[in-house]
Amino acid sequence: MKFIADLHIHSKYSRATAKNLDLENLYLWAQYKGIHIVGTGDFVHPKWFKELEDKLEPAEKGLFKLKDKFALAIDAQIPKSCRGEVRFLLTVEISNIYKRHDKVRKVHNLIFSPSLQAAQKIQTKLGSIGNISSDGRPILGLDSYDLLKITLEADAKNLFIPAHIWTPWFSALGSMGGFDSMTDAFGDLTKHIFAVETGLSSDPPMNWRLRQLDDFILISNSDAHSPSKLGREANIFDTEFSYDGIYRALSDKDDKGLVSTLEFFPEEGKYHYDGHRNCQVRWHPKETIKHKGICSGCGKPVTIGVMARVETLADRDEGSKSKRWRPYQNIVPLPEMIAEAKDMGTASKAVQEAYMNVLNKLGNEFYILLDCPIADIKKAAGDVLAEGINRMRRGKIEIAAGYDGEFGTIKIFDFGEREHIEQQLVLF
Amino acid sequence: MQRPQDLNESQCQAVNHSGSHLLITAGPGTGKTHTLTRRIARLIPSLKSDEKILAITFTNKAARQMQDKLTALGVRQSQLFIGTFHGFCLKLLRDYFERTALPKDFKVAAPEDIAGFDNETLKRISQIKSSQLAISPDDEYKAYQHYLRQNSWVDFDDILREALLLLEDENIAGELRRQYRYIFVDEYQDSNIVQNALLKILACEGVVLTAIGDANQSIYGFRGSRVELFRRFQEDFNPAQILTLQENYRSAPSLLAASGQVMGGVQLLAQLETQGKLVIHQAATDRAEADYVAHQIEKMIGGLDMNTSRRALRSFGDVVILYRLNAQRSVMGQALEHLGIPYQVSQKPKRNEVYTDEDALGQNEEILEYNIEKVSLMTLHAAKGLEFPVVFIIGCEDNLLPLNILCHSRESGNPGSTGMKGDPKEERRLFYVGMTRAKEYLYLSHAKRRQLFGQTLIQEPSPYLADIAEELKAYEAVKRNAPKKDPDALQMKLF
Repeated sequence: MKFIADLHIHSKYSRATAKNLDLENLYLWAQYKGIHIVGTGDFVHPKWFKELEDKLEPAEKGLFKLKDKFALAIDAQIPKSCRGEVRFLLTVEISNIYKRHDKVRKVHNLIFSPSLQAAQKIQTKLGSIGNISSDGRPILGLDSYDLLKITLEADAKNLFIPAHIWTPWFSALGSMGGFDSMTDAFGDLTKHIFAVETGLSSDPPMNWRLRQLDDFILISNSDAHSPSKLGREANIFDTEFSYDGIYRALSDKDDKGLVSTLEFFPEEGKYHYDGHRNCQVRWHPKETIKHKGICSGCGKPVTIGVMARVETLADRDEGSKSKRWRPYQNIVPLPEMIAEAKDMGTASKAVQEAYMNVLNKLGNEFYILLDCPIADIKKAAGDVLAEGINRMRRGKIEIAAGYDGEFGTIKIFDFGEREHIEQQLVLF
Repeated sequence: MQRPQDLNESQCQAVNHSGSHLLITAGPGTGKTHTLTRRIARLIPSLKSDEKILAITFTNKAARQMQDKLTALGVRQSQLFIGTFHGFCLKLLRDYFERTALPKDFKVAAPEDIAGFDNETLKRISQIKSSQLAISPDDEYKAYQHYLRQNSWVDFDDILREALLLLEDENIAGELRRQYRYIFVDEYQDSNIVQNALLKILACEGVVLTAIGDANQSIYGFRGSRVELFRRFQEDFNPAQILTLQENYRSAPSLLAASGQVMGGVQLLAQLETQGKLVIHQAATDRAEADYVAHQIEKMIGGLDMNTSRRALRSFGDVVILYRLNAQRSVMGQALEHLGIPYQVSQKPKRNEVYTDEDALGQNEEILEYNIEKVSLMTLHAAKGLEFPVVFIIGCEDNLLPLNILCHSRESGNPGSTGMKGDPKEERRLFYVGMTRAKEYLYLSHAKRRQLFGQTLIQEPSPYLADIAEELKAYEAVKRNAPKKDPDALQMKLF
């Protein structure tokens, strides 16, 4: 069966997340977005774990569903066009901060668990080591290697996935807090890692340029800190609808269960280019080299982004593919597309209303972005949005690249172009 | 003979000294343990097969560390007894059991075993036992001793006193002197009068005593330690040589200068060229102080989430937070927890550590499966002997350092207690011990208002801060940034 999964999200118990990031809102937004399996996030956090136990019940093997008594109240809010089954899969992200070879390392790692028992084992172990109650994504002074060991010992079916591996400050290969290779980070246990998460600022072709990543399958998730950010990136599977199906798709090199990934345009990610946000210095890596890495604003080293970091570690030319490569589609979240079509802020009320309106008429967001005939979008939401989505599907959009924590900005229409498209409509 | 590369001139002299007893005055970071272990290793080959070295440490942990260092130098465990005074004396009581007046099945009573005597009484009796050689017991004292013996117990102080009685037997003393040809005592500044008497019996008839310590770091007076014993060494053990280690290998020069000023002109010779930083921070309240410390740590770690990230300079294990009273701990812990910073509270060395029979050297040691880095929280007393790249001393205020608080202590559960007051000289040494733990960064913070034992205290800075030259201090205030709006949170309202 074909399904879409977003497996890296957070709960309201993580720092800097939305207060309404609860199971009900995940259930709601997964349907708006067209996601079939969503990660629970934060399963190590005792209060969140309790909510998982109370509100979820077992569904397909290793998957959970929201109990009817909690789901019923939400169902009424969901347009009929969007309604679909939502399953949860137990996930957590850990922030490992530790010293290795005299350098401070800060690495984020994801763990997927096949059962509450397996999740609880990890929770108990980590609870005995550090504080797991302050933050849904706990900060532990534990080596990533040891976390991987704990994960494997807790249950053989647990999956360990280095998160957004290129993010400068918090990742396995990041320029500022990471390692130069996965084996530097994970040593003899590297072979127990089957997948890595590419993060928003890199796309699959960038990752294909590293031989050291050949054995890993690339996955993409939203890392959402609020329900509306679900599905910024996601994975399309076509396999058994269960934890085991996903486990095989990631772990078995011959399995074709992971079909493709849905990707941010990497330029839109927060760390694609180099620079300093506070100094408003945004540099292409070539520019950075020209300046010897020193910010022209403050004279300190700039934050090296993902593009430059990939270039440093790449040992293959652009255009090469890895053994386990999968097709991918770049997407721009629908609210952003609508905002761009209307030339208004994403957060504006008009955009919000238009978003709900188009979901009502056409179906969930992924359907609209990926599969809905352009003519239908035209009819339901006007020519400008239809043309925008058409361009997005073909990758014909302009983006001012993100840098040093600042998201990139997309531009689909030139000045006056929207009016031009609309006028065509009047003329015909 | 050429000097080995890992010893400086004065260390080398201390290692090779012979012909008399030796007192090594060793300031913080001068390579005390290194010198001691090298000297032990040098003397081992001169022992006959049935002879041994006795090495007395201040804690069991220090004993284990010394054992490890000696093993690395190729010294076999069979040629040594390493342990605390209490550990050694307990061994004597067991070995010569039939020569003591103790019941056959005597056990060591931990303070929590003892019922029917309040804390104040126990403190008073312990003070007597550890500070007087000849005791004229009052009724309470007699009742307490009777209670112990009825239960076949000895308390920690009894272990030393009973051993001292045992050594009055010249035959036993002679036997021990023939066995232990060299005696080493670490942290000599914190030994008490009973321990001193034991040493006087053991360290004669050719037995050589090597004591090492630093009078400026004597901080256990409340346990009967007598810093005068340090100054009286040459009278007690004659003839004796005194050597001084002055080269400091721990602290940045500016930090060393600052701690020297607090200790009234102590001058150690800085051997490092690292850049030090001494920060003074004044906070409005104890909570604000704790938040300041937690945020400084967050900054050093290079931010804990994407929004605060910067280059990481330190990891959690590099940082210690020191305080005068355990009562200061909870506010600090809350501030760390709020930011999700992992921390551990280290207890001060247990009162007079003892090896029990089943607790052979190292056996009961907790084996840690993983190396977990955490920020350390501990009292200034517990920091003795440790070093950290970054040290925070919180509560640098005129009634905490030096300690002088008038209040009803709820903590001790004793409504009658009227306050806590430390010996001014010892309080200064305690602050000095805290400062000299720092390798590179030292933060001295104080609050204007503090909640302590249910009272709100209006605080002034510790007088010690004024002893540090202005040019060595950097005053840091909290920058007030307007709280940043979370774009996600804003969006959530609309969607």
